[in-house]
Amino acid sequence: MNIDNTDQKDIEQFEVQAKQIAGLLDAHANRLNMHTLKRLEDGRVRALKAHAQRLAGINVNVDGTLGQIAAWAAHHRLILSGLVLATIVSSFVVLRALNTNESSDAFLLGAELPPEAFVDRGFEPSLNRHENI
Amino acid sequence: MASSQELSDFLRDVERRAFKQTVYAVRDEHVALDIVQDAMLKLAEKYADKSVKEYPMLFQRILQNTMKDFWRRQKVRNLWTTLLSSFGAGQDGEEDRDPLDSIDVGDESENPMVQLERSQTMKIIEKALEKLPARQREAFILRYWEDMDVAETATMMGCSQGSVKTHCSRALHTMAALLEKQGLGSKTIANLGVES
Repeated sequence: MNIDNTDQKDIEQFEVQAKQIAGLLDAHANRLNMHTLKRLEDGRVRALKAHAQRLAGINVNVDGTLGQIAAWAAHHRLILSGLVLATIVSSFVVLRALNTNESSDAFLLGAELPPEAFVDRGFEPSLNRHENI
Repeated sequence: MASSQELSDFLRDVERRAFKQTVYAVRDEHVALDIVQDAMLKLAEKYADKSVKEYPMLFQRILQNTMKDFWRRQKVRNLWTTLLSSFGAGQDGEEDRDPLDSIDVGDESENPMVQLERSQTMKIIEKALEKLPARQREAFILRYWEDMDVAETATMMGCSQGSVKTHCSRALHTMAALLEKQGLGSKTIANLGVES
């Protein structure tokens, strides 16, 4: 019991001392050099400007709509994925176009008729007429 | 929502304390100034819609987080600095500093001997504070300097109230021992406190 009381007294005494130290630190914090005070003032002025802009609602670059849209540009992974997807799609389209050309070339070469026959516009109607006969 | 005037008053009230607290943590005045400026800007930009009553807690949290960011960056930078230490550069800009800038703004009417004695005492206290482990120093500063209660300090530090009490108790014992070692007993501190 006595030990508890002594501990409690010690703690109280330490706390009083801590408050005194805090008081000294507080007083000392008010004795800063001109350079430091100037820089703190600069920081405060900048913060107040930012605050005024926020209140005016013109700070679109931080959390505003434009800022949010522009922020997507900062997602490197998304941009990279988009580029990879675009490359895959475009290469697929190009390959498909090449395949179409190849198969039409093969058809023209494999056909019994000469290639000029397919270019001649009057050939197909003439062929149809002959089929009817 | 706090008005610009309220924010200005708040920042004016806390900036010097915040600066000194940061100096004790990072031990570099220039870095401390950068951190405090960053914290002020973040508070104004991100929490413009909050009431001025919430500012003390928010500002302390931002300040602590900005300090933690600094430690993280410092860790990476130290790694590179160690690797590239052979290219070590001199301290730039030291010559450009105006010696008049470093003169403290104090009460000029005070006796120079008293000023000297107080300045020496403060150096001892500051050294003792710097020697405390980071968490103990944080607890001490928030609890006794920022005058937060145990619950607020616990919220700020992200730990339990019991941990705050332990950190504070250890900090007090260490501080008392360090100051006693330097001949600064509780009576001396109390006397200085009365004078200031």
